[in-house]
Amino acid sequence: MSDSVIGVARPRIDAPDKVTGATRYAADGYVHGLLHARPVLATEAHARIRGIDGSAALAVSGVVAVLTAADLPIVSAGTDRTSEPLAREEVVFAGQPVALVVAESEAAAEDGAEAVVVDYESLEAVVDVEAAMEVEAPLARTVEETDDEAGDLESIHAGVDHGQADDPEEKLSGNVLDRITREQGDVAAAFAASAAVVEGTFRTPWVYQAYLEPQVCTAWLEPSGTLVVSTSTQGSFVTQREIARAFDLPLERVRVVAEPLGGAFGGKFALVEPLAVGAALALKRPVRLVLTRSEDFQATNPASAQVTHLKIGARPDGTLTGIEARMIVDRGSNAGWGVEGISSLLVAGPYNWEAHDLRGYGVQTNRFTFGAYRAPGAPTAAFALESLLDELAKALELDPIELRLQNAVGEGDVGVSGTPSPVIGAREVLERIKEHPLWATRDALPEGEGIGMAAGHWPGGLEPAAAVCRVNSDGTMTVVTSAADMSGVNSGFAVIAAAAFGLAPDQVRVVSADTTSGPYAGGSGGSKVTYTVGAAVMRAAESARQKVLAAASQELEIAPDDLEVEDGVVRAVGAPDRSITVEDLAKKALRFGGRYEPIEGHGGSAQTSGAPSVAAHLSHVRIDRETGEVELLRHVIAQDVGRALNPALVEGQMRGGAAQGMGWALYEQLDHDEDGRLLSGSFLDYAIPTAEHVPEIETLVVEVPAPDGPFGAKGIGEAPVVGAPAAIANAVAAAAGTRLYELPMTPPRVWKALRS
Amino acid sequence: MIPAPTRYARATDVDHALELLGEPDAKAIAGGQSLIPVMKLRVARPALVVDISRLELRGIEERADAVHIGPLTTWSELASTGLPAGLQAIPECARGIGDLQIRNLGTIGGSVVHADPASDMPAVLLALGARLAVRSADGVRELAVSDLLLGPFTTSLGAQELVTDVVVPVPSAGSGSAYASVEHPASGFALVGAAALAGPEGETVALTGVGATPFVLDGDPATAIRDAEIYGDRFASEEYRRELAGVLVERALARARNHAKGDR
Repeated sequence: MSDSVIGVARPRIDAPDKVTGATRYAADGYVHGLLHARPVLATEAHARIRGIDGSAALAVSGVVAVLTAADLPIVSAGTDRTSEPLAREEVVFAGQPVALVVAESEAAAEDGAEAVVVDYESLEAVVDVEAAMEVEAPLARTVEETDDEAGDLESIHAGVDHGQADDPEEKLSGNVLDRITREQGDVAAAFAASAAVVEGTFRTPWVYQAYLEPQVCTAWLEPSGTLVVSTSTQGSFVTQREIARAFDLPLERVRVVAEPLGGAFGGKFALVEPLAVGAALALKRPVRLVLTRSEDFQATNPASAQVTHLKIGARPDGTLTGIEARMIVDRGSNAGWGVEGISSLLVAGPYNWEAHDLRGYGVQTNRFTFGAYRAPGAPTAAFALESLLDELAKALELDPIELRLQNAVGEGDVGVSGTPSPVIGAREVLERIKEHPLWATRDALPEGEGIGMAAGHWPGGLEPAAAVCRVNSDGTMTVVTSAADMSGVNSGFAVIAAAAFGLAPDQVRVVSADTTSGPYAGGSGGSKVTYTVGAAVMRAAESARQKVLAAASQELEIAPDDLEVEDGVVRAVGAPDRSITVEDLAKKALRFGGRYEPIEGHGGSAQTSGAPSVAAHLSHVRIDRETGEVELLRHVIAQDVGRALNPALVEGQMRGGAAQGMGWALYEQLDHDEDGRLLSGSFLDYAIPTAEHVPEIETLVVEVPAPDGPFGAKGIGEAPVVGAPAAIANAVAAAAGTRLYELPMTPPRVWKALRS
Repeated sequence: MIPAPTRYARATDVDHALELLGEPDAKAIAGGQSLIPVMKLRVARPALVVDISRLELRGIEERADAVHIGPLTTWSELASTGLPAGLQAIPECARGIGDLQIRNLGTIGGSVVHADPASDMPAVLLALGARLAVRSADGVRELAVSDLLLGPFTTSLGAQELVTDVVVPVPSAGSGSAYASVEHPASGFALVGAAALAGPEGETVALTGVGATPFVLDGDPATAIRDAEIYGDRFASEEYRRELAGVLVERALARARNHAKGDR
């Protein structure tokens, strides 16, 4: 049965509603008596708030309230965005919400927000992350408040250890909030024994998730006292915990409903919810906050800017020796967590090293609040490493793919994390691009063209999860989970349940339940949903199958072991005419006086072994040597996906990831002026790859089954973005004859590199 | 993203439009592709929006030695209408503006009077020596495009004046024109754009994106670019734009010369 269900390309189950506009997003629902909120955003990057005058705003017809930090009934301490959704006394980035105007209409709220007057006392803005580390540097935040509970969001993406002890010798400013050290072996000796050692400093900017649907939340109190939070979020339970913590509410009084997502890419984990909830609780009326695009650019949580100093070496035969990294992560105002841990782990790549010294620094500045972005910290790490691997190959006159293949991590190899690697498809994906005809053409290209390759990987997250599979009286199945349907995971659940139970996939519906009624699932992120929630769905479907077999066994008087379920029919093995449909059995169960237990299964998973995914890319570019423009001609991505439950969705993730990587490579950067004011806060200034720029992307699906994954499947959403910028950088280096060490590779930067 | 409160009135003819524009802080709107975005950002907050989109100021007509382009003519119309030989730069430029939706609504008149220092078509009009007919209560005056553009988003138009005709002289036989640009990857506006006209009487080149207004280069282009005041910002430095100006002028001229030879 499973062979005809698993691995068949089919449309996403949510596609018809999405393309016809029938999907109702968090901003669409009708709520009686709804008020509309508009934030007032800080115009200074670092300042003390002397006062906020809302009197003119309150005079605007329709304005109900002007709320400041003191008006929100928040009890949790700390400077995290849950505890401090409105700046209390100190503004720490331009765009930080400082007040909320709530009105009867969106227009009145906007008119009111414009009329709020904030009196600032300017403080020195800390904008340069490297300067911020120096002992004498001014602090990006002068008021100190800590809350040990605030680190909950970090574990969503990858449970990363914090390495070993800090180096006590290194004197740094109070802006350095976290230092990670991972050391093993003698790196200096490893470099000394190398035939070639290469190094460089790589820079990547703040990058915006650029989801279609801006951040939005609606909150209201039911007459019973239950708080309902209807929101665009990746994680309903994490949002429930954050709201309960901030407002000191019992968990059972907070019902979080994860509405259909209009894109998230890591950026939607309890950010605007405390604002809408705070206003709803303060005013005792339903409140909706829908960020405008420019507010979303300024006030949310993009990917960190990073500076990476990297040095690597190899023996004459290409065996990698030592790796030394110093990775500086700009956390902006985020005191709770940063990507210095994961990034300084991933900078070693899916390769074996004899010795390593990897350091990560999380540094506060007056820019944004850092947040997660598809494969947090990984594209930067791969950009640095894969650029230098090409330089190493050049120095040793080795083929770049052979160099990587020779050192690729295999199952059981102990990487820089210190633990043996699970099953990993690094070699398999490298072999696939090595065989690609495009790679063979790289030395015979016209002037101005170049081909580059790179690999990138993501370790894959873990979190226990549960699911329910219920057979309805018409013989169809309903799968219930609390995972936010992101990147098509619900469509994957339908296939898993259908195959595990014995139904056609179109007979399966998937419901995303809320925190009151649904089984537990963590946030949709970290490439873990299919691997963990999917495994729970599989077990729930198997459990339901046992129920249907038990009922059929009584009806047919045949032992359960001699029965099989296929396409909604239970049959005797070897005697197919002795059968009964799942629908008939369900009807016998689901009725007054029925004889059988409802055909319903519950399943859970607590995966302990990760399922990393590796993707290798080939990029073909043409550069205009006079203008510095880079044209993407062709892109190939080979990714190990474990098992492609639905190849159409898998290839969609691969294409989307590669396209986002093109944005990192050539277009995207959130830039501030020297005072910390955002310069690229609209799509007129912030470029994302569009249909005009993205070339044909060829997808090569490589299947190295994950032993613990449902049908061998694993999370594949993050890996495809990781190596794409590096592959494009290597292609540009091949075309230009010179390398760029900073992303994005804009025309002025390429032009400048060509002249230096 | 909601504009400040404003009133709206639709003009029935040019005289009516001029009368409506007499109100304080009134602003004419045609395709809305420049005005609406700045209104939504509340950078522009007119008290009255005068809709001139239904006025009969649309269409392309060749009369005597000139092509008359109604200011309400859209980019899509300019991109697809056959023009006399020598005016290749106009459709070439129009095809590269915005996206299809913008080209279906955006108008040549709206673009010129918006006076964005990086807009494309004004450079083409400058290179082609275009003139504008401007109506007011006092009658019609004519002025060169270069006399309209005073600075960024600033023109010499009075509050109660409307452009009613864009007059492009047909170049003499054996002429060709072209437009070349490098765009900002987000906005699509020109980091540098160069328009060129090449013909028996000589060559004219205009630049956009590099200064307070698009302008014509006097004399030898290379020298003029070297001496020009060039704007730079954090995305594209003055040095880069100056170099790019030289490259794009050469490319526009080369294509204009090819067009002149009848090579399309």
